[in-house]
Amino acid sequence: MTTLLSLEGVMRVYQNGVKALDGVSVNMERGELVSILGKSGSGKSTLLHILGGLDRPDGGMVSFEGRELNFRNRDEIIMHRRKRVGFIFQQFNLLPSMTAIENVEYPLIFRGVPRSDRHSRARVLLEQVGLSGRIEHYPKELSGGEQQRVAIARALVSDPLIVLADEPTGNLDSATSAGIVSLMREINRERGVSFFIATHDRDLAARADRICTIADGRMVA
Amino acid sequence: MSAMLLDHLTLAIRRLKTRKVRVLLTVLGIAIGIAAVLGTVSLGEGIRMQAVETIRASSDLTLIEATPGNLDGTSYLITPSSVEHIRSVPYVTASSAILKDSYASQHQTYLPVIGADDEEISKVLDLRVETGRMYTSGSAEAVLGADLGEYLRRYEGMQIGSPFPVMVREYDDEGRPRDREIAITPVGILSPRDDRYDSALILDRELVAAEKSGQQGFDAVLIRTGDHLEVAEVAGDLRELGFSAGGAFEQIEAVNRFMDVVILIFAIFAGVSLVVGGLMIANTMMISVYEQTREIGISMALGAAEGDVMRMVLLECLLLGIMGGVAGIAASLAFSSVLNVVGRPLLLSRLGGEFSGLFGDSLSVITPPMLIAGLGIAIVLSLLSGIYPAYRAARLDPIEAMRS
Ligand SMILES: Nc1ncnc2c1ncn2[C@@H]1O[C@H](COP(=O)(O)OP(=O)(O)OP(=O)(O)O)[C@@H](O)[C@H]1O
Ligand SMILES: [Mg+2]
Repeated sequence: MTTLLSLEGVMRVYQNGVKALDGVSVNMERGELVSILGKSGSGKSTLLHILGGLDRPDGGMVSFEGRELNFRNRDEIIMHRRKRVGFIFQQFNLLPSMTAIENVEYPLIFRGVPRSDRHSRARVLLEQVGLSGRIEHYPKELSGGEQQRVAIARALVSDPLIVLADEPTGNLDSATSAGIVSLMREINRERGVSFFIATHDRDLAARADRICTIADGRMVA
Repeated sequence: MSAMLLDHLTLAIRRLKTRKVRVLLTVLGIAIGIAAVLGTVSLGEGIRMQAVETIRASSDLTLIEATPGNLDGTSYLITPSSVEHIRSVPYVTASSAILKDSYASQHQTYLPVIGADDEEISKVLDLRVETGRMYTSGSAEAVLGADLGEYLRRYEGMQIGSPFPVMVREYDDEGRPRDREIAITPVGILSPRDDRYDSALILDRELVAAEKSGQQGFDAVLIRTGDHLEVAEVAGDLRELGFSAGGAFEQIEAVNRFMDVVILIFAIFAGVSLVVGGLMIANTMMISVYEQTREIGISMALGAAEGDVMRMVLLECLLLGIMGGVAGIAASLAFSSVLNVVGRPLLLSRLGGEFSGLFGDSLSVITPPMLIAGLGIAIVLSLLSGIYPAYRAARLDPIEAMRS
């Protein structure tokens, strides 16, 4: 197996002095599904934001495929966001003015993919997440679980190396949550995409290949 | 590339559709600004056309008089070769080199003299002989303008076909005037033409040259051009050759210069409403960026670069500008036709019948270039107004933005 990403002593100190990350070191292999377990305020979101190039560390090193990520280089960070990562959020974060399929296609517009390609890729993914019957529905016409499935399809549409999921089941009941986790497992197996899933739900975390526990900005186990 | 732009445009249109009322109000704001500017300019253009029309109806616009001039500090004489040169200027259809002098009758009537080739001057000035005939070249014959002929016949006993003595004024070595009498034979009187040639005495150029010894070159060249639109061009060419160019067309030039200033001042006042329109766009876009903060944050997380975000905002501005510009053009066309259909008769009824020639057929004139300029201004204005909102949107922090 090859190393997908490695973090070494990553620090993130907010302006108000809060040390959200206090020297985090983690490694992940290609194709792994890792869950990161921690209480509220432990720094899970901060960690995912740094991995996704939405935030930058104040110390330490983040490498992807053996190459250190230069957070100061905007172009590199944009390319990192476009080529390597896909995001799934607790609030689903679908764009309300677009249908399911348009939401899935949306990230490809920034990647310059032509319309017909976008459409067929989005359709295949929506089928895979079991929403072939909801393609033209708007987010407000979908249940929470369905919205999150659309979000998963959207995260996968650009063929990322890793999907960063920040409490993807936080807004869902336990049965729906289990379905979402199963879906992520299935996609992970079938497509070989890595998943990094932040959660405070132990049962859910237990279905990962590996659990990392974070507390007060430090890795515990 | 253009397919991508189309995608972004479609998205921008959809975003605008989510806030129709505000978009409508903003578009109205721009439209009013554009219509105000186009309206004032078209009214000014209408007045300009009217003034030009009035001048054109009452004067000989296609006649230019070229006289010796100055270019870059060098004086240019009119020599036979420069006359040839002038003949070759585009749009010149006829020309006549002339000498000017002034004689007096025995009763001391002032006689402005023009010496010219009989055929050339007939062609250039379109001379029509009312009584008698045109003078022949190489003779001491003369034709007289209508007014002068009438006067000399009535008060000084001049007769067509009989010699008529005139005095050439010269100065001796001490500077004293000394008149010398020569005899000319008036052979014709011209039809009235309502210009200064009505009081002219026109003779063969060789005769005038002989009496006017020591002069180099000609005094002027009369030039006829095809139509009044070509006059300015010919005048420009002449000035470039170092000659002065004068004629009734100068009045039009003066009107144009004056109206340029008037229209500019009008437009500046009307332009204030454009500034208001621009501020409206900026305001609308600031609010829309604020409202869409979350969407912008999500887009950034999904791979939108700062440039993409700026483009999103600017495309919306562009659409607002195009809609405002088109609506403004429509409004100004409507305004202009209302002015012409309702305003003109109203104005004429106030002014009275004698002004009916005024405002020929339109009070307000809108030309295609004005419409294009109106649209262009609306677009440029909207993009300028969008720069700051676009910049603000692009600088949003994606995490903060998604949290809002
Ligand atoms: N922008 C910020 N400014 C200051 N402090 C912040 C900011 N964002 C997060 N924090 C603080 O950093 C710490 C880690 O926050 P983070 O959002 O990473 O936690 P989390 O593990 O995701 O929590 P939750 O499970 O509630 O989402 C918290 O103490 C939080 O208060
Ligand atoms: Mg969190």
